[in-house]
Amino acid sequence: METNKIDIGKEGSEIVKSPSGWRIVGREIMRDKVALFSLIFLIAIMIIVYGTSLLLDVREIVKVDLFSIHQPPSEEFLLGTDYGGRDVFGQLIIGTRNSLSIGILVTLMTGAIGIIYGLVAGYFGGTVDNIMMRILDFFQVLPFLMIVIVFVAIVPKYSILTFSLIMTAFLWMGIARLIRSKALQEKELDYVQASKTLGTSNFKIMFTQVLPNLSSLIIVTMTLNLAANIGLESGLSFLGFGFPESTPSLGTLVSYARNPQTLEFRWWVWVPASVLILVLMLSINNVGQALKRATDARQRRG
Amino acid sequence: MSYLEVKDLKVHFPVKGGLFGRTLAHIKAVDGVNFSIEKGKTYGLVGESGSGKTTTGRAIIGLNKITSGQVFFEGQDITNLNKANKDIRRDIQMIFQDPYSSLNPKKRVIDIISEPLRNYEKLTKGEETKRVQELLELVGLNPESILKYPHEFSGGQRQRIGIARAIALKPKLIIADEPVSALDVSVQAQVLNFMKEIQKELGLTYLFISHDLGVIKHMCDQIGIMYKGRYVESGTKEDIFNHPQHIYTKRLVAAIPDMNPRNRQQHLQFRQEVKNEYEQAYNQYFDDEGLAFQLQPVSDTHLVALPEKG
Repeated sequence: METNKIDIGKEGSEIVKSPSGWRIVGREIMRDKVALFSLIFLIAIMIIVYGTSLLLDVREIVKVDLFSIHQPPSEEFLLGTDYGGRDVFGQLIIGTRNSLSIGILVTLMTGAIGIIYGLVAGYFGGTVDNIMMRILDFFQVLPFLMIVIVFVAIVPKYSILTFSLIMTAFLWMGIARLIRSKALQEKELDYVQASKTLGTSNFKIMFTQVLPNLSSLIIVTMTLNLAANIGLESGLSFLGFGFPESTPSLGTLVSYARNPQTLEFRWWVWVPASVLILVLMLSINNVGQALKRATDARQRRG
Repeated sequence: MSYLEVKDLKVHFPVKGGLFGRTLAHIKAVDGVNFSIEKGKTYGLVGESGSGKTTTGRAIIGLNKITSGQVFFEGQDITNLNKANKDIRRDIQMIFQDPYSSLNPKKRVIDIISEPLRNYEKLTKGEETKRVQELLELVGLNPESILKYPHEFSGGQRQRIGIARAIALKPKLIIADEPVSALDVSVQAQVLNFMKEIQKELGLTYLFISHDLGVIKHMCDQIGIMYKGRYVESGTKEDIFNHPQHIYTKRLVAAIPDMNPRNRQQHLQFRQEVKNEYEQAYNQYFDDEGLAFQLQPVSDTHLVALPEKG
């Protein structure tokens, strides 16, 4: 969030630099072994998933092959096949990629909208805040699930981007509220007043003075939101309101378990995806908790 | 015309309440204040908590909305400083009361002090660093600490950073809002003497807001005493400290502790007398709402809020 690189030239290079916020976060994660392991695991998963998905042919994976239905794991199919004879391992990789992409995209978009909206409302306060919060309230009372279901029904083909957009449209309010409440507190502090007397414009104060003070809150919230968003996408796909089977996601793989036969005898179809969801969300949460501690000196371990 | 002139300044805050957030009443934080400051002098604004002295200072620099009245600086109307000429803005700076909240905790010292420079002067990174180091040296801090964060400094050092930031643009007028109230007494003296030094060096004019009469006596040439948003007395340092006319001022001056322990009994008795006088004469010196009357001239420099009959 903040730029810590300051070019101080040659003569000033021996000046001692104080540890920045990132250094503290790094120290906290190094100290918390669970969080460190989670972070390494997450990075590994991302590299594997995004790396191998480049090599895999999606169309080949989702092609129905009636001769190899419900095959248990073998050398040809690492994790067996589903009821359409499709390779579960390939679907798992592509599905994880899709789910992660949506999770990250939705988190970033809700974050961007929420931060700007909340910051403007909180910083200006008064009438501006009042109007903006009533608009936000309107969005909040819309039935999210129903609208997504309608959306899925009326749009025949949708991509990761459009699906993320529709999710974003209903998920930015939480972070906006949070940022607004913090900005309301922050703008009363003297450093904001000081910036005003120093001739800094409101826009600049908002984004260069107030925003860095909210950075810890933003990072923590966005990390925890990421886990929630991945879960939400998987949940929607599980219910059949996410992607069609031609676009695998973690949720669609788990949804095959709705078939009692698959649930009982063909564990390879749904267990890997379920475990992956669980582990992914746990890991993200662990990292998020470590970040949360890093922002609060009293809870810090490192 | 004076250097800074404040004419009938009023700052009223609405009290909202009721079902639809109606304006029920107004708090008259500043209610008709007049004063003027000469160039290179220090004007002290004294008063108890809630007397409106801070609000006056903040209204002049544009942090509080002025309800009515006018402020002139070098003959120019700066009542609406936010909309006024940007060049005037840089001539008036402020030193804040709380050295902890007035510095952005996420910014390094160099970013804090160069903030005004970045707004008004186009300097290269190298020039900027040099200026910031010069300023740090001027306020008596180690110029090598430019990359530290505010929390690594003590209260007195932080206040110096605040002062360095305020003088970075070489302003003409500095509004010092209780600049030493949050500091230890030993550090107070350091900061105050330093402020006097840079006043001489840079030819600054101060509007010094404080509730500490000792500090005011040390710093100021002209003094205004506020009570409940109005002036009760104003005059030179001698007028106020040696010939207080208003009972409120008398009581304030009597409350200054005496250094000599032998006079303790005598001083206590004097304080008691003033207290009795204050309580007896309260109704004569304040109107029905407990507010001060209009100022009446006692001498050329001395104005006192005496009742009409004199």
